[in-house]
Amino acid sequence: MNAQHISLDTDAIRAELARIKREATTVSATTINFVVFIDDAERRDWVMERATMIADKHPSRMLVLDCSSTDDGATVETFSGDGHGTITSERISIPCRNIEPAALRALTHALTIPDLPTVLWWTPQETAGNPHFDSLIEIAADVVVDSSGSTRDNDAITGLAAFLERTRRRLTLRDLAWMRLSPWHDMVAQFFDDAALREELFCIRSLKIVSGSSAEALYLAGWLGSRLGWRACGKYEFCDRDGTPVTFSLVRDGAMRRVQSVAITTTSSTYTAEVTSDPGVVRLFVDGKKSRPERLAPLQAIDNASLIERAILERQSDTIFETALRMVGAILT
Amino acid sequence: MADQTTLDRPTLDENPLRAGVASNRISDPCSIVFFGASGDLMKRMLLPAMYNLRLGDIMPSNFGIIGFSRSEFTNEEFRDEMKKSVDEFSRSGPARDPLWSDFANKLSYVAGTFDDVAAFKALKKQLDKNDEELGTNGNRLFYLSTPPTVFGKIVDMLAQAGLGPKDNPKGWTRIIIEKPFGTDLASARALQTDVGRVFDEKQVYRIDHYLGKEPVQDIMALRFANVIFEPLWNRRYVDCVQITASETVGVELRGGYYDNAGALRDMIQNHVINLLALVAMEPPVSPNADNIRDEKFKVLSALRPIDPDRVMYDAARGQYAAGMIDGKPVQGYRDEPDVNPKSNIETYAAVKFYIDNWRWAEVPFYLRSGKRLARKYSEIAVRFKGIPHRLFGEAGDSIDNNVLVMKIQPEEGVSLRFSAKVPGPKMHIRSVSMDFNYGTGFGVVSAPAYERLIGDAMRGDATLFTRWDAVEAAWAAVTPVLDRWSQLKDDSFPNYASGGQGPISSDAMLEDDNREWRTI
Repeated sequence: MNAQHISLDTDAIRAELARIKREATTVSATTINFVVFIDDAERRDWVMERATMIADKHPSRMLVLDCSSTDDGATVETFSGDGHGTITSERISIPCRNIEPAALRALTHALTIPDLPTVLWWTPQETAGNPHFDSLIEIAADVVVDSSGSTRDNDAITGLAAFLERTRRRLTLRDLAWMRLSPWHDMVAQFFDDAALREELFCIRSLKIVSGSSAEALYLAGWLGSRLGWRACGKYEFCDRDGTPVTFSLVRDGAMRRVQSVAITTTSSTYTAEVTSDPGVVRLFVDGKKSRPERLAPLQAIDNASLIERAILERQSDTIFETALRMVGAILT
Repeated sequence: MADQTTLDRPTLDENPLRAGVASNRISDPCSIVFFGASGDLMKRMLLPAMYNLRLGDIMPSNFGIIGFSRSEFTNEEFRDEMKKSVDEFSRSGPARDPLWSDFANKLSYVAGTFDDVAAFKALKKQLDKNDEELGTNGNRLFYLSTPPTVFGKIVDMLAQAGLGPKDNPKGWTRIIIEKPFGTDLASARALQTDVGRVFDEKQVYRIDHYLGKEPVQDIMALRFANVIFEPLWNRRYVDCVQITASETVGVELRGGYYDNAGALRDMIQNHVINLLALVAMEPPVSPNADNIRDEKFKVLSALRPIDPDRVMYDAARGQYAAGMIDGKPVQGYRDEPDVNPKSNIETYAAVKFYIDNWRWAEVPFYLRSGKRLARKYSEIAVRFKGIPHRLFGEAGDSIDNNVLVMKIQPEEGVSLRFSAKVPGPKMHIRSVSMDFNYGTGFGVVSAPAYERLIGDAMRGDATLFTRWDAVEAAWAAVTPVLDRWSQLKDDSFPNYASGGQGPISSDAMLEDDNREWRTI
């Protein structure tokens, strides 16, 4: 590892990178341009730890755009994952506090490797409307955000939904708050794998979700509604396909970014999936006319680095996510 | 899968919530019976694998696991034993409630010997009980984790007890058979006759855990997800292929087995020949199990039989002497526990094969495997032909052949060696290596081979299992060497030092072809 501050100039940065690579015993391989945007000094170490894990596994040119840094110059570092001198990742860190969005976009673009996909991991919660976000998405093929984890979840999702409506660019948008839910989608779907219960999906009267943060609960509700043809009929209000209201309640409880329980009540029964005393296990049961024996299902907790990796690997846009996001946007506005 | 856009009207044939929701859960409920359930493999690998499949939510919603072996256990004692094995060997750590209790409730045990009709009847009763109480729907998977000598007997007893597929119209019946499938061509054929009397080929899953390793599957991805290699992947451009599976460990506690097997049976006949098939096969028409296995079989059936009189030129064997591994002294093979002090079994084997087909005619495939070698690694190296006419390079520069290396373990990745000009006024040429290493997983770790393979058998996906025709062809390929080596004692044994590159005779095999092994 080798880092010294150099001027914020494309040629100077490239020259430094070339110098370091000449010293390596063999050449490198790169799979992506990985752009990481940071604006919060307190989260910087957390973000960099995960970004480094990604880069270790997927050889990358990582461009760290750090608007929380007070440094004056850029740094260039290379990393050898195999211990034999082969460069497995390159990191260029650019303090961007004083750089205009358009200039930052141009500098970033000039430093990316052509022909490789550029993935932007946008770590601030504010997305659309932030001048740097609006600028940087112009050069990204994939954008990864996380709308969960603060009191501003609703604003973040509303912003994303609005962005999705107005963007004309072909890019893949991923929200970690949505991706975190995949085990819960499966939990809820499991109830209705039983063909005898499937009609119940069309007489749902209420939905209650307990979650440590709002984003996951909203996405879960938006997913269920969008799958079943519901529409928004007011703030936090759904109506099903026949226009019958579906009561939605969101209770904030438990650890951030973790769903605690989902209860779906139909005209005959209540379908509940709730985390047990072991946070890795969910209890699934049905009360009422259609009652079924209780079952236990493992809950796969997916760490953030794995979620980001999944976002990088899945290059197709996720139409189910986009539909759910639109539905959430509709009940929030 | 349902339409991925918003649902307009109820489509009750399918679950509308399943669209786009990934689940690796096995759909068919089933009972899995482990023969040899008190053995070491069960404790260390198989039961922890089953528990981890459950933790990973891969197991079907309804399942039952039955242990069968000679030891006398009650169900409770068996569950206690299995809990100990999970606590000690599971990659996910000790068993945890409430999931362990839920899992343990699905475990049961039948005690009996492998020729005890009453025990097999009791097994049938337990399977029926699982169907009724655990909802396993008549689907049955038998796993033979026993010494190979009793494989045939167990299959016969299954038929006698009414546990064969023909007696089970309610669900499917499959059988997983551990390697080795036979100890030579004749015994493999005899075993196949026994198995074939009861099971159709599609119901037989011959397991070779090596094929469940992720890098082995990467070989097909490299070949068939890229277009740039295919035009070069033939006799016009390839000089030779070297496949190496080297280990630093000795026989450890397997001396009793190994001293009757040797490196050729233990590694070359199955693992290494399977790598040859993967690297040399034609593109399959689909990733379907039979399409892939058809292509692998075609390659193996095209292996040129080794002339018995040429075994001394086209094959080499060795046995390790004492030496140093990782800076520490280690003993020789003949001093290992349960090994005959005058043993003539090889711990190193190298064989040269030719594939007599249009693509590979006259391209040698050099295969080697050995214990107590300098480094633990497995790789396939495709060495391309030299340049036809030298234009560059100062006197003294050597222009090496291009080599594409598929690294299997311990590193996973690909490297390509090519020539480049050294910067400066002179036209010096040197070889450089372009390396690509995939890092290991984080967070979600890829499943160990046994988990992957048992899960595949429950799903009915036979892609990573070996079909009988391929097993037979692989035995046929090594038979001339096995026969000659069993007839002729090698007086030079032990003939390589632990921690070295293997016996000199192996180097000589390539020197005769004006080639040399890649350094281990």
